[in-house]
Formats: sequence, C-alpha cells, structure tokens
Amino acid sequence: MISVEALRKRFGRQQALEDVSFSVPKGEIFGFVGPNGAGKTTTIRILATLAPADSGLASIGGIPVGDDPAAVRELVGYMPDFFGVYDRLTASEYLEFYAACHGVARNRRRRVALELLELVDLADRRDTQVDTLSRGMKQRLCLARSLVHDPKVLLLDEPASGLDPRARVEMRELVKELRRMGKTILVSSHILPELEELCTWVGFIDRGRMVAVGPMEQVRNRVVSGRRLRIELVEADEDTMVRAEQALHDREGVLAVDRMGDHFEVTVGDDFEDDELLAHLVHSKLRVKSFSAVAGDLAEAFMRLTGPGEDDLA
Amino acid sequence: MKRVLGLVSGFDNPLIIKDGVSRMRSWRAPLGITLYLGLLGAFGYAIFTIQVLTAQYNSSASAAIGGEVFAAMAFFQLALISLFAPALAAGSISGERERQTFDVLLVSRVSAFGIVWGKLIASLAYLLLIILTALPLFAAVFLFGGIDFEQFVLTQVITIATALSIGAVSVFFSALFKRSLPSTVTSYASAFAMVIGSAVAGLMLSYVASYRSGATGSSIEGHPVLFGNPLFALYIVLGSPSGAPVHVGRLLQLLVLSDGPAANWGPTIEPWQFSVFSELAVTALAILGAVLLVRGRRALPLRRRPLVVEAAG
Repeated sequence: MISVEALRKRFGRQQALEDVSFSVPKGEIFGFVGPNGAGKTTTIRILATLAPADSGLASIGGIPVGDDPAAVRELVGYMPDFFGVYDRLTASEYLEFYAACHGVARNRRRRVALELLELVDLADRRDTQVDTLSRGMKQRLCLARSLVHDPKVLLLDEPASGLDPRARVEMRELVKELRRMGKTILVSSHILPELEELCTWVGFIDRGRMVAVGPMEQVRNRVVSGRRLRIELVEADEDTMVRAEQALHDREGVLAVDRMGDHFEVTVGDDFEDDELLAHLVHSKLRVKSFSAVAGDLAEAFMRLTGPGEDDLA
Repeated sequence: MKRVLGLVSGFDNPLIIKDGVSRMRSWRAPLGITLYLGLLGAFGYAIFTIQVLTAQYNSSASAAIGGEVFAAMAFFQLALISLFAPALAAGSISGERERQTFDVLLVSRVSAFGIVWGKLIASLAYLLLIILTALPLFAAVFLFGGIDFEQFVLTQVITIATALSIGAVSVFFSALFKRSLPSTVTSYASAFAMVIGSAVAGLMLSYVASYRSGATGSSIEGHPVLFGNPLFALYIVLGSPSGAPVHVGRLLQLLVLSDGPAANWGPTIEPWQFSVFSELAVTALAILGAVLLVRGRRALPLRRRPLVVEAAG
C-alpha cells in the first residue's frame, strides 16, 4: 500500500535521505523508528505530498506521489508532528471545516464530524472550543481530522508525543481500532515499548538510511539475539550476589549475565525454558524476589542499530 | 446561469466561512467596528462643527457644508481602510504557518487559488462590513445636500477597490513570508506606497511632465502615476462633477515622458476609472503571485519536477 524506493532528499549540504526504501502491506501498522533528525518527518512529508524528493519513487496505493499528488491526497490522512488548532471553533465545526476542505458533501459534513467525534471519544466535547481542549484531546481531534475523507492510508508523525500515560494508551487503542477498520498506518514515534505493542511492521532509520525493515518479529529476532530476563534476589549482599552470578553462569543456555547493582539481567537463547532457570536458582538455595522478562526488545534493537558502527549492521 | 453558479461557488469556500465565523466570535470584531465608526463619526462631526462655525449663512451654505463634510469623511475613510486592510490580511497565510495549520490545509483538496482567494475574501468581508456599517454616517450628510448620488457611489467604489488591492498585496506578502511580523511591516509599507507614495511621486512627475511641455498653473496635467492614485481619484470625483477625462494615448505619452504635442488617440478615461483599473490589475498580480507561492509549498506533479527512479540497493 505504501512503497518507497531509493528515496533521496538533500537540504543544502545535508543529505536528509539516502536511498530510503521500504514498503508497507495493506492493513498493517508500520512503526517508523529513528533518532531525531534521522529523516522520519522528511519521508512522511514526501509521502504526504508536502515536499518533493530529489530522486527515487514514493507511491501510495500504487500511485506515484510525484505523478498525481491530488490523487494521493485523496488516499492519505496526515497528522503532523506539530500542529495547531483554530481559535473560536468548536470541535464539531473544526471537523466540518476540514470535511469541507476535503470535498465532503455539505449534507454529510455534520454527520461525518459527529461520527468521528464518537470514534475518538470526544462526542461530549463537540460544542467545546478546540483551543480549550487538553493536549490529549487535541491529538485525538487531530487524528479524527485526518479521517474526515475516509482515507485508506494514515501517516501519523509522532502522534503520542507530549501525551501523559493515559492519553498515550487512548491514542494507542485508537490506532489499533483504525487498523481493525482496514486502514494502513505508518506511525513514527520515539516511545518504543508502545510501538512494539502496536506495530506489525517496523523500519529503523538513522542519518537518512534505512538500517532495518520488515515484520516486527523478524526484525527483532534478527537484531536482538536472545531474550533478557531480570532477576532480583531477596538478599543482595555480596556473598549472595557472587553465588548467584556463579549459579547463573553454570546454567546451560545462559548466554550472558550482567550484574546491575542489586539485580541481574541475564541473556538467554530464544528457546530457553525460563522456569528451569528459576528452579535452578531455588535449588541453589537462592531466594528469588522477582523473575521477569525485560521489556523493550525493540528499544535494544533500536540502540544497537542506531549506535556507533550501525553501518555495519545495515 | 453558469456564470452565476461559478460566482457563487467562488464564495463557497470553507476558508471564508471558517475565518468569518472565527473572526466574528472574537471581541476584536465589534471593537474594530466600534473604533472605526467612532473615529469616522467623531471626525465627521468635528469637520461639521468647524464648517458651521466658519460658514457664512446664505442659501448655498448648507450644500457647501454637506459637500465639505462628505469629502473630509470620504478621505478619512480611505485612510482608515488603508490602515485596516493590512492588519486584517497580512497575517492570513503566515498566520496559518505560525499556527501550524498550513500543512494540513495543503494536504486537503483546497487548491492554491482556493486558499489565497478564501483568505482574501475572508479579510475583505470584514472590511466590507465596516464600510457598510459606515453608510448611514455618509447618508446623514445628504440632509445638507451638496453631494449627488453618483459621487457617493464612486466614493465607495474607489474605497472598496483600494481595500481590495491593499488586501491582495498583503495576502501576497503573507504567502511570501513565514512570519506575520515581516509580512505586516511590508504590507503597511506597500499600502503607504500605493496611497501616499504614488500621490507624491505622481505629483512630482506631473510637474516634471508639465515643465517639459511648458504648461503652468491650472493647466498641469496628471501623470499616470497620479492618475492611478485613489486619493487623486477621490479628489477629482468630489471636486469636479464633470470629472477630468484624458485620452489613454496622452496617459501613455506622459508615462514615457515623451515630448511633442498632446496625443488625443484612444478612448478617454477618468481618474477614478484609471485608479480602479490599476488597483484591479495590482490585485490580479498579487493573487497570481500568492497562488504561485502557495503552490510551491506543495510537491509539484511529475511533469514539473521529474523524479529519477533509481535502482534500490
């Protein structure tokens, strides 16, 4: 549904995009990950027809962006990373205005606005002036705004930035709901644990180059060898910690043991049986306070791919 | 019928409605109208009082007072509109950028012309409302006589054309600059140049042209720059009921400062006609420039900016 081939873009002396290529199948949520200035927003702006590429081919729904921007705009709903709202318009009027801008028939605008407000859980705020809404509500309203013309593709640039945890969860659930509605979604974000739960595909970009792209599990497995477990003991005195470290090293299948102050982080193989390690620790007379998988494998992949020497990994 | 529908569809622009609703809900809207009417009314009353105190009472005194008050108010209205127009239009597009709503507009179906046109009409709608609300003040002067209906209509036409041209130039600068401050400053500078600057320059050029042709005193002819000036047009409309028609050939001759006998070819044109025509031409150019600037903010179709497809990897 979204296809980018060898995209290049230069701003003055800075090469913003260097042969960026990826594709997103229909109905998938693509997490576009990269540090600040990596080229995420530039790529999204090219896909949204807001900036021309120097070379390469970007297409949405099989239509090259450079060939027919107007047709692409019909297919795309765009939510920028920074956006403002109009003063002195109610939430409903705000959506009706954009519905009019997208050519929605006059007699349907009100209904479309109310349906979208319902979708983003702002129906009770339809007569509230948009500049008085909270940031989370504005984000949801902006997402609703990007849906007024029922686009097949959504380009969401950092939709959860600056939101509190509750608003982030609401935004995440909303994006999932949109996927269930059949939308293909490209979402960029720095909040990696959320992307990990949300996205089915992922692409890492660093300094204008794609360093990894593909289905989420595939990329994670390729980049991160093994899983990490966090183990905390009831007693954390030096003797116990040394004994525990030795016990962990002795266990077959344990790839690495890192002592992190009062607890351990252990790297194990993908097919490692966690309960056997727990049993091994108990047999070694070690009192385990907590035993859990370390979340954020995507974060680790991100760090590995965008850290020093990432070009070798690409 | 098609023309009527086309005209109506030109005003069926979401930006006009949105900006109109947004502006009229602001406290600034009634304040602006109150300020405008207050200033115009106070100025008109002051001129009326001075005229009454200094007038010699005879049969024509009432008409003279009416004519003087109307003329003073018409010039004052032109000055006020020249001040209001940049304030309303100079932030129209740059304001969208500053508010970070411009990109979202660009990814909609609204064309570049639709954006520029919508912004211009939304700004002018408020100016037209202001002019409309001032009509009763002007109408009151009719009680004294001294002004005929044609002069009244032409005064409003010149004022509206001036508002339109200054508004369009301000929208152009609003599309040119990313920030509203430089846009506002250049818009005011342009308004000053269009109203005051062109009057001064036109007067100087008229004297130069007259000196070259040996004319003196009341026979000094208006240079095209002066001829296109709204203040001069207003001065002629209010001061000379018969107008001051000049052949187009003579205007062109004066424009290139060519010597020789006065050309008398081409149709005759009056200052108000030339002024309105010039302002409409400036408006068209400013709209065209603004449309091109807004279009440049979007990725252009392939035929204008070729994308070179390179082999991946």
